[in-house]
Amino acid sequence: MSKPGTMIAATASAAALLAAVTGCGSDPYTSASGEVVITCATCQESPTDPFLQYNYEAAQRFNEAFEGRYQVETIENPNAGSSDDRLQYYQRLALAGDLPDVFQLNSAEITAMQETGRLHDFAPALEDDEEWAATFHDQAFDALTGPDGQIWAIPQQRDAIGIYYNTAMLEVAGYDEFPSTWDEFEDLAEALKRQGGIAIAMDGDWTTMLMWVNLIGTQPGGPEFLGEGIATMDDWGEDPVVTRATERLRDWHEQSYVNADAFSGDPQNAFAPYLTEEAAMVANGPWFVSTNLTTDAAAPDLYEHTGYAPAPGWTEGDRGTVIVSGAGWVSGTTDERGLEAVDAFVKFMSSEEEVLTQAAATGANPPVRVDPAATEAADLEPLATGLVTEAADLTYRYPHARVHGPAGFSTAWKNLWPAYVQGEMDTDEFLQRLTDDAASSGM
Amino acid sequence: MSAATTLRPPSRSPGRTAHAMAGRTKRTPRRVRGTTIPRGARKAVALSLLPGLVLFGTFFLVPFLVLVATAFARWGGLDFAWAGLDNYRRMLEDPVFFKALGNTLFYAAASVLIQVPLGVAVGMVLALRPRGWKALRTIIFVPFVISGAAYAVIFSMFYNPRSGLLNNVLGALGMPGDRDWLFDTATARWAVTGTFVFIIGFVVVLVMAEIASIPNELYEAASVDGASTRQQLTRITLPLLRNVIGTAILIRLLVDIGMFDLVFILTAGGPDDATATLALYAYRAYLGGEWGYANAVGSVIILIGLVLIVTVRRVFRIGERTL
Repeated sequence: MSKPGTMIAATASAAALLAAVTGCGSDPYTSASGEVVITCATCQESPTDPFLQYNYEAAQRFNEAFEGRYQVETIENPNAGSSDDRLQYYQRLALAGDLPDVFQLNSAEITAMQETGRLHDFAPALEDDEEWAATFHDQAFDALTGPDGQIWAIPQQRDAIGIYYNTAMLEVAGYDEFPSTWDEFEDLAEALKRQGGIAIAMDGDWTTMLMWVNLIGTQPGGPEFLGEGIATMDDWGEDPVVTRATERLRDWHEQSYVNADAFSGDPQNAFAPYLTEEAAMVANGPWFVSTNLTTDAAAPDLYEHTGYAPAPGWTEGDRGTVIVSGAGWVSGTTDERGLEAVDAFVKFMSSEEEVLTQAAATGANPPVRVDPAATEAADLEPLATGLVTEAADLTYRYPHARVHGPAGFSTAWKNLWPAYVQGEMDTDEFLQRLTDDAASSGM
Repeated sequence: MSAATTLRPPSRSPGRTAHAMAGRTKRTPRRVRGTTIPRGARKAVALSLLPGLVLFGTFFLVPFLVLVATAFARWGGLDFAWAGLDNYRRMLEDPVFFKALGNTLFYAAASVLIQVPLGVAVGMVLALRPRGWKALRTIIFVPFVISGAAYAVIFSMFYNPRSGLLNNVLGALGMPGDRDWLFDTATARWAVTGTFVFIIGFVVVLVMAEIASIPNELYEAASVDGASTRQQLTRITLPLLRNVIGTAILIRLLVDIGMFDLVFILTAGGPDDATATLALYAYRAYLGGEWGYANAVGSVIILIGLVLIVTVRRVFRIGERTL
């Protein structure tokens, strides 16, 4: 073959290979068998994350149920679970116009991602299908809504987050029931400390923040701060509710009611003392049962003598609890057939059968109203469902600071909280710096 | 036929390789531009260099130029605007930047002042091949090959205030055993430093290799002149280690000014930025969507690296032959 001929042949071969590799010329939304294929970035198998594992199994069921019409294709994604890098990962994909068709984000991430203009608005789909929209609990979309009424995500769960307590340890300390006020809580903590135990286990991150939120949320004006003020105020220290809560939480460390290793941000520092019965209490969500409480890491029979309670109140009868919608399903597709499949997928995931399956697999509670008989038949985790039922009658219900708070809240908290507890700064300085650092997203 | 012979143009004066091989001429070979590669081979040489140049350009030059250019921009992925020196001005006004800079230099200094002298001393002792030196060399080198992340996890358990080995030992000795070493602002930086300054395996191996290359005749002559072992170590070995000590210092400094994984896992830079490094500070800016600012911090790290390279090379005259 002549030299030009060789060049042409080589170029053609390279082009053909490139086209085959990139799929150029084919329709990315249509499989060989004519199904509409959508990608899911949070549906991969996971031996450690029960939510991801449930998503994976649900996607398989969806593929079976919609065989011949729609198909979910799983994308392996290192940022599928909760991680500091997750938001950046999806922002990069949004910039490249390459967001997955379905994936999950939490409320703070959704707030940041809406600025990319690449998220699909589910509001029209919910308006078109009123029956489906009516299945969701009231305020289910509150943390997932955009400034102009857009609904960026379909909630996956609606959980009450309470405080786990060891009934046997409380009994030894002279308490048959979980304290109903913070004063009683501190009396109990003192009694537990005298017996050589740890009253409440914390980690300097998630579990510590939960108690901070509980102390804020159970005061008049507290839920308003957690729902709005946390995102709009220039200095959280100007709110006396926040100051009182912060100082009370700090005092628990000073009084040694909390484990000594409560600042690393490693959740195991909070979970391990509870699981080994060194600590009498720990705050966490309902998933703690399946991921920790019923595993080999827990002391024998610990589950049998564990209770799950809402937070005590500052005054008698004014208890409260954190309510979270957790991660929601979002979509980055703009293709009409892709959107049709996405709508079918999110409706499938929020169906009564699926939310009950999810509840059984993960302990997360349904974001939709479910027939009580079906709930009972599903034999859901009683600790979690009990708290959800109890939450309806509590004085206060409030979101977690990580839901409505600025994206940098967690990083700022982990950095500043140990220094504040050690007396390196006063409450005013701590709260001012926390506000500033959280707003600058991790700086 | 050797490559040098093949590539040497037949009608011109021989190149350096040919001279070195022949070793007969006293004239210093003059380097003439464009004469070392025969015309017919230039295309082949260019083609053979191309993959390397493409890789270098793609994975080093382009990212480097992007980093330097975007350090002068407000860039968060979603938006881009030139900002002149704003990022650098902001850096100079941010006390956290100076904390991170101070910590980074502290870690680097600790490496140079503890790790290198200790490594040189141990290397010199092991070079005398005392009984069990091979086993010792292996034991000393093992921590160097453990991943930084695994090392950090081990030390976070070691320092754990409730269940860690350190506090338990201190408690058993009747000393206060409840300090949170990594999350107490008074001890955090020292605790982090303690995790890496004693990893001397790399310096030890470098020193031992260099000592092995020192001609034995020097020691024999010194011995004949009545020099003691200590004198041989201080008057012969140590001066001849100048190059390798300079190299070890340079490598340690360059590794330490980019320190990230160890600190990130141990403390994430806390408490109150007491252990934060420049690399971690840049990473936080990146997470916060301030990519331009993160790159400005990155360019400062590069600048510090360049200053260190030039300074250490000059001070230790790295590359100059001793013998």
